[in-house]
Amino acid sequence: MSTCSNLILGVDVGSTTVKTVLVDPQTQCILWSDYQRHETKQAEKVMEQLKAVSAVFPRISRIFMTGSGAEPLTQPLGAKFVQEVNAVTMAVDQLHPEAGSVIELGGQDAKIIIYKASGPNGPKRAIASMNDKCASGTGATIDKCLVKLGLDPREICSMAWDDSKLHPVAAKCGVFAETDIVNLVKSGIPSREILCSLANAIVMQNLSVLTRGNTLLHSVVLLGGPNTHLHFLQDCWRQRILETWKERGHKFPNDDVSKLIFVPPNSDLYAAFGAAIYGMHEPDHIGAYRGTEDLEKFILHGRAARLGASAGPPLVRDADELTAFAKKYRIPPFKAATFEPGKIVRGYIGLDGGSTSSKAVLIDENGDILCKQYMLSKGNPIADTKELLSLLKNDFAQQGCTLEVLGFGATGYAADVLEESLAADANIVETVAHGMASTRFFNNVDVICDIGGQDIKVLFVTHGQISSFRLSNQCSAGNGMLLQAMAAQFGVPVKEYADVAFAAKLSPKFSYGCAVFLDTDRVTFQKEGFSREELLAGLALVLPKNVWQYVAQVPRMSALGRTFVLQGGTQYNLAAVKAQHDYIKERVPDAVIHVHPHPGEAGALGAALEARRMVLQRGKSTFIGLDAAIDLSFTSRNDTDTICHFCPNHCKRTFIDTKAASGRTSRYISGFSCENGTVESKQKLKELAQRRKLLKAKYPNLVDYESKLAFQSFYKPTPLPEAGAKLTRDETRRNWLGTPKAVRVTRRMQRSSDDDLAHRQNIRIGIPRVLNLYSTAPLWRVFFETLGIPSANIVFSDATTPEMWAEGSKYGSIDPCHPSKVTQAHIHSLLHHKSRERQLNYIFFPCITHLPTFVSGVMDSTSCPIVAGAPKVIRAAFTKEVDFFERAGVEYVDAAVTLTEPNYLVKQLYEAWGKKLRITHDECEFAVQQGFEALKRFDVEMQRKGSEVLAQLEDENRAGLLLLGRPYHNDPGLNHGVLDEFQALGYPILSIRSIPKEPEWLDRFFDDDLRRGMVDSPLSVADVWPENYSANSVQKVWAAKLAARHPNLVVLDLSSFKCGHDAPTYGLIDHILSATATPAMNLHDIDANKPGGSILIRVKTYAHTLKLHEEKLKQEAANRNELQKRVAEKRHELLALQRAQLDRDADLQLMNEAYQAYLDADVTIELPDRDFTFEAMGDTQAHSGHQTALALVNGHRFVIEERTDLQPIQAGQQIALDSTLLSSLNQLDTNSKKSQQITCSSCTPHSCPTCAQ
Amino acid sequence: MHAAQLPNMRSMTHAEIEKELRQFEADQRERLGLNEPPKRHWRDDNPQDFDKAQRSSTTLLCGGLTQAQDMFIGAALRGVGYRVTPLDVPDNDALRIGKEFGNRGQCNPTYYTVGNLVKHLIDLRDQKGISTEQIIRSHVFITAGACGPCRFGTYATEYRKALRDAGFDGFRVLLFQQKGGLKQATGGNNGLEFNPTFFFALLKAVMSGDVLNAIGYRIRPYEVQSGDTNRALDQCKHILAKALEHRQSIFVALWRCRQILKRISVKRLQAKPKVSIIGEFWAMTTEGDGNYRLQQFLESEGAEVDVQLVTAWLLYMLWQSMWDTKQRMILPQTDSAKGGLKGQNTRKKLITLWLADKCLRSVFGLYAKLIGLRHYKLPDMEEVATISHQHYDVHLRGGEGHMEIGKLIQSVTKKKAHMVISVKPFGCMPSSGVSDGVQSLITAKYPEAIFSIIETTGDGAANVKSRIQMDLFKAKQAAQAELEAAKASTHFDEQIFSRKHNHSLAYPDTGTFIGTAARLAAH
Repeated sequence: MSTCSNLILGVDVGSTTVKTVLVDPQTQCILWSDYQRHETKQAEKVMEQLKAVSAVFPRISRIFMTGSGAEPLTQPLGAKFVQEVNAVTMAVDQLHPEAGSVIELGGQDAKIIIYKASGPNGPKRAIASMNDKCASGTGATIDKCLVKLGLDPREICSMAWDDSKLHPVAAKCGVFAETDIVNLVKSGIPSREILCSLANAIVMQNLSVLTRGNTLLHSVVLLGGPNTHLHFLQDCWRQRILETWKERGHKFPNDDVSKLIFVPPNSDLYAAFGAAIYGMHEPDHIGAYRGTEDLEKFILHGRAARLGASAGPPLVRDADELTAFAKKYRIPPFKAATFEPGKIVRGYIGLDGGSTSSKAVLIDENGDILCKQYMLSKGNPIADTKELLSLLKNDFAQQGCTLEVLGFGATGYAADVLEESLAADANIVETVAHGMASTRFFNNVDVICDIGGQDIKVLFVTHGQISSFRLSNQCSAGNGMLLQAMAAQFGVPVKEYADVAFAAKLSPKFSYGCAVFLDTDRVTFQKEGFSREELLAGLALVLPKNVWQYVAQVPRMSALGRTFVLQGGTQYNLAAVKAQHDYIKERVPDAVIHVHPHPGEAGALGAALEARRMVLQRGKSTFIGLDAAIDLSFTSRNDTDTICHFCPNHCKRTFIDTKAASGRTSRYISGFSCENGTVESKQKLKELAQRRKLLKAKYPNLVDYESKLAFQSFYKPTPLPEAGAKLTRDETRRNWLGTPKAVRVTRRMQRSSDDDLAHRQNIRIGIPRVLNLYSTAPLWRVFFETLGIPSANIVFSDATTPEMWAEGSKYGSIDPCHPSKVTQAHIHSLLHHKSRERQLNYIFFPCITHLPTFVSGVMDSTSCPIVAGAPKVIRAAFTKEVDFFERAGVEYVDAAVTLTEPNYLVKQLYEAWGKKLRITHDECEFAVQQGFEALKRFDVEMQRKGSEVLAQLEDENRAGLLLLGRPYHNDPGLNHGVLDEFQALGYPILSIRSIPKEPEWLDRFFDDDLRRGMVDSPLSVADVWPENYSANSVQKVWAAKLAARHPNLVVLDLSSFKCGHDAPTYGLIDHILSATATPAMNLHDIDANKPGGSILIRVKTYAHTLKLHEEKLKQEAANRNELQKRVAEKRHELLALQRAQLDRDADLQLMNEAYQAYLDADVTIELPDRDFTFEAMGDTQAHSGHQTALALVNGHRFVIEERTDLQPIQAGQQIALDSTLLSSLNQLDTNSKKSQQITCSSCTPHSCPTCAQ
Repeated sequence: MHAAQLPNMRSMTHAEIEKELRQFEADQRERLGLNEPPKRHWRDDNPQDFDKAQRSSTTLLCGGLTQAQDMFIGAALRGVGYRVTPLDVPDNDALRIGKEFGNRGQCNPTYYTVGNLVKHLIDLRDQKGISTEQIIRSHVFITAGACGPCRFGTYATEYRKALRDAGFDGFRVLLFQQKGGLKQATGGNNGLEFNPTFFFALLKAVMSGDVLNAIGYRIRPYEVQSGDTNRALDQCKHILAKALEHRQSIFVALWRCRQILKRISVKRLQAKPKVSIIGEFWAMTTEGDGNYRLQQFLESEGAEVDVQLVTAWLLYMLWQSMWDTKQRMILPQTDSAKGGLKGQNTRKKLITLWLADKCLRSVFGLYAKLIGLRHYKLPDMEEVATISHQHYDVHLRGGEGHMEIGKLIQSVTKKKAHMVISVKPFGCMPSSGVSDGVQSLITAKYPEAIFSIIETTGDGAANVKSRIQMDLFKAKQAAQAELEAAKASTHFDEQIFSRKHNHSLAYPDTGTFIGTAARLAAH
């Protein structure tokens, strides 16, 4: 036992751990320390550590606490709270006075401190920043990814950093990162590559955002759990920081990099140590340690009292309620079927390769489940499948039976690789699989809600078919996993989650939505003192809000129907079921809620049912067989040989090669970003290009065409008028009082000199291919071309690619939407590539504040403020520490421009460019006019192509996909190639610009609205959105209106993550399209990363919907034709009846005879001057012993009857009305004494020249 | 009559054939599934009917500014003949309701304010037992509108969506355009009359609230007895509200408030860092969960808070119109888009705007003087625009526009605050999407600035507060050092200081130092 006195305690209560140090103020040495996970029992863990240290050092005098969970504990202990960054700063100042920067990664927080000198010899100041909400949870994200990879954290500590095989991972958000990790796992990428990719993403995110654009200064101290324990992360920091230093010209000592960027000993104790050091600077009475007595009282009584009224209700009121609920909803344990030894059991296997687990079921020939298997994913889908199949096989082997697999179906993330390698009978999208599994057990299902580890799926069912669906996007993903991870953090096995949560007497009110935000809430609630029982209850209670409010977005649940089926592995958690049940019942009191008896295996069951259906339909199975599948050998390769070199992306593909005992081999390729990645040879690439060319012609992608055309030189501007040419124009002059007055003046054109023109001909201007440049580029190009700048000197950056983004994304200081953030990479590309190819003089990136719009009667026509301001953010980022423009010899021009006021635009452009280009005001004005002309031509061309596509769709009763997006969604790097997926499926793609805007074309769709006075123009949105000021948003809403009225248009709605201008339109577009049941798919949170799996499931499910929609279109068209035919027949029948009735009339008979005599006297029918052609409208029909056909003669409908002498007529057949036919008709007529052979059904004989004959 | 039923002696007429064909066609349509009714398209009904006759039986709901201002607006409008109920300051329950019934991905002022209205109506229905029909019939909500470019302009869309989805279909939301006047107030029978009486009532309420808030933030950090200031402010609110409601002299009321406020005991010799809160208008103005009760938190952490006043926002609106007009006035006046001057009398417009600016400033000055708010200067908008333009083009609008940049620069160059917190809703387009990016350059240019950016979402308060504490620590150190320097620069005598400056209305003018104590000490 020590006898030291005045000892100071520093305690760091973090989101996952408690660290305590005891410091001797005399020597500033650490006498005692401890570091432990608290599993949410922060107060208890602190007390445990304090008791332990007191046992050794009883004379502790003061205590200082830091960390996110420290504050509530300070009062009972007498401690003073020290903010974490300040504590860390204190520690670093003390231990590393030479440090230039500190990077501390914690469980939730990331902090960067940079010590900058104020002036050349000024004192050092610490500039500190902490991560924003979206990027929080760095340590927690790594933990969750380790769970997904099935790795023990201890195993990976010594893993080496390797940057040779990195894959794209989004680290701006923990959930996005998890989504990417899942996709990599399911593509068979080795765990080590995935971890290095994650480390790289975290480092790059922090370097690009958390530094707020500042350069880290040497030496760099790495602190916090992940930095301390993960060697590959440390090395990643070293590599990337060095690169940044070199890029930015930062001078650093030529020293061992591990000394420049280092992890000090005890790095995880720095905050606790710093708190103690902080205390040494405080007066002696501050932080006087009171012992643990009050803390004990606080643990026992203090917390519940403090929580008070802010808490929410518990999951159950009492034990009785729980018992009754459990009795009704607890899923009965499954009993696998048992068989007599020696029996051969036949069945179909369905396998669901999910995000966190893989499931398999075996169904018998009737579709009943015989047995099932579940396992947590171990990281490779083929290995998981082999293991699952072995488990199934063993089930039967142990009973002495033999399993004969009749068919194999797969679904989930792993379905594609299994289809290829196992020759599966069915590869079915999860949504459809879940739908099949649900309707197998329950009748009249209205809604299916499936909550898996990563995804939430809400399926709306009509007549047993999925009529529409909602899937969690990236932002709402990971909720099932969150429950599991949270339980793990609290040391609760997931199976015991419900028991723990039901024990809570109250619950914290979590804000629903993003899983990362939920986790930050958890930190706050922990700090407030909620227990783990309460936290788990609160988390369960927020789940239905995530499902119904965030994912499904259905505020009026009763409109969905009353039968709800809950599926997905999360339903095994009775607490989650209870929360869902109460939520639904509160809003739909008469709801019938079912929990699927096999919630976790519903997808696998659907796959098995589909395999059964396919095998029965085909009469055979393609499956390689159970033993072959189990014995399948495979290799997963991801090296220099597998890199795709067929486009500049150079995707790092993974080849999974399988070989069955029979010798059958297969190769599954993953990890490519475009279709080129699917092939391996130039020959195959040629074939692919050929196929793509055909596809392009047959199903045009006008979005792609628009994106290319916008930046081409397609308009030859009219030359500038000669100097002295007469100009008549309106001008405003001030009178002698200074009052502006409009006058009409005629004067001479002022031109710049030939020298000035020569000056312009040598100027090169770079323009980034971003944001609203996608809709306005023709204006800028032609503006410059008109002024004499050669077309070749107007240089646009290339379309966005992942490589471009990776290379040029380190300038940022903020984290807005990806489309605005990606502009830095384009500017980087212009400076570092385009300008190096041939020197650029200027980079022009205008702040476009207002955009022209075709929508009429708008309140305003503004650009998004982020988009408009992006050029200013770029200027700040590229000039903050180093003026990169100056360094590259390029002048940056970011003038604000207003495209809705031509006169003002001339002023703005003249101010921006007048001196630089040496132009006159008149020249500037003329060039602006030409720019607007080019924009018009752009519109005309796109609408011309759009008309053609729409006409074809209407003729063929097919569906075309209308993209509701902003101009920059035309960028293939931003739309992630989703449009190509649909083009490949045979759907042409239209852009909003390509829709014809002439009222004459539009009136047929808006006729009713115009007649009822809802709008005064077909181009108005006043009836659905009066607050219509944002140009691109309003155009999206208008396009949705058109799609709701055009039977051949379906919708793909793209929005970027954080898009503030799209958010208000979500509800509007949904209302507009839902009212007419117009098929629509939305991706509302697209970002830098491509969530391949998530996109794929949407595309597949939507393709299913579109197939049904096209079938419906064709059926309706067929029915309309059928109706026309039946009516014509009926008319004929009635006329025949009328004739029969007239024949019975004696007087009329006499009259008929008289008329016949008249006819007989003159039976010659003159062949008409024009060519008469019959177009048969349908096949000849046997009708009352006669043959009847419908025909068109020069646009008139006829019924041809009594044509027994002719060959049967086919629909569409052209029959010339020649003299032979006429005489034949006459002859026939004469012989049969019929009154008429040809009846015009579309006009009266008097108005029809043909009939009149 | 069916053809088969015709008497033998008579043949069908063509009219009968056509009739039967029509019937046949209808039957066949049914059988072929072609008889679907025409598609009904969705429309936003946007009910706006509120006429004079309804005024006496209709309650106007309003809110969204500070507690004092909401209370005063309610009183002032009652004073000019309306029934008004101000809504409570939005809390996290309002946020939850807003999220449930609003669009996904909105900024949190939308969720808080929209949720707050729906929450109030739900309370009326569920707690007070008023039927939904009655609520819809007897209440309207009035709110400020805008026409872009940030999401603020679409709040009305959100209100209607949330109200529809929460079961209050048909509830009226009336828009008061910030730069326009009451849109629905045209015509003779409108329930809301945008006449001078109405306008001045609103203005009086807003300005009274501003001066009361400003003086409260100056006194509270230095009060000797905790709670004195708030008690005094409550009394003042009561006096001012009564004056506004009964249309009594606001000048007298402000003078009476001064008498109450000056009785608060203060101790000015405290080194409190002055923290200026700037950022997005709603997030920096609200006093509830919407910004984690930021003002209160800062004071509890030992800071003196400098808030932005609503009057400054009104001046910004006027400045925008003036600047835009000046930029365009010598152009050919043929531009007909929103900013264009086609058909406008530019000179008259400029004179009107100039007068409005001067009136606002004069009235504010008078109010400030009466209540005892000394040395308070409303921002010079032209100056703010000039210093920010090179970094943040003043053409860029939305939110606070260039003002955040200008205020940050001024806070450093004019020594206005030790620390600046820019508070904005998560994902705020003009603020976190643009200003923050430009501000990183400003902080590099002015490394002495202690600047903190806070994005609010309603959750994760622990992290946000931790970040503020991090910077506040530095600000405290700066304030302490500054006070010591101020004391050292004069023959400081604590007794003299106390005698001279321990008055609640005592407040220093600008000077070399930032902190109140330091400025007074150096005086």
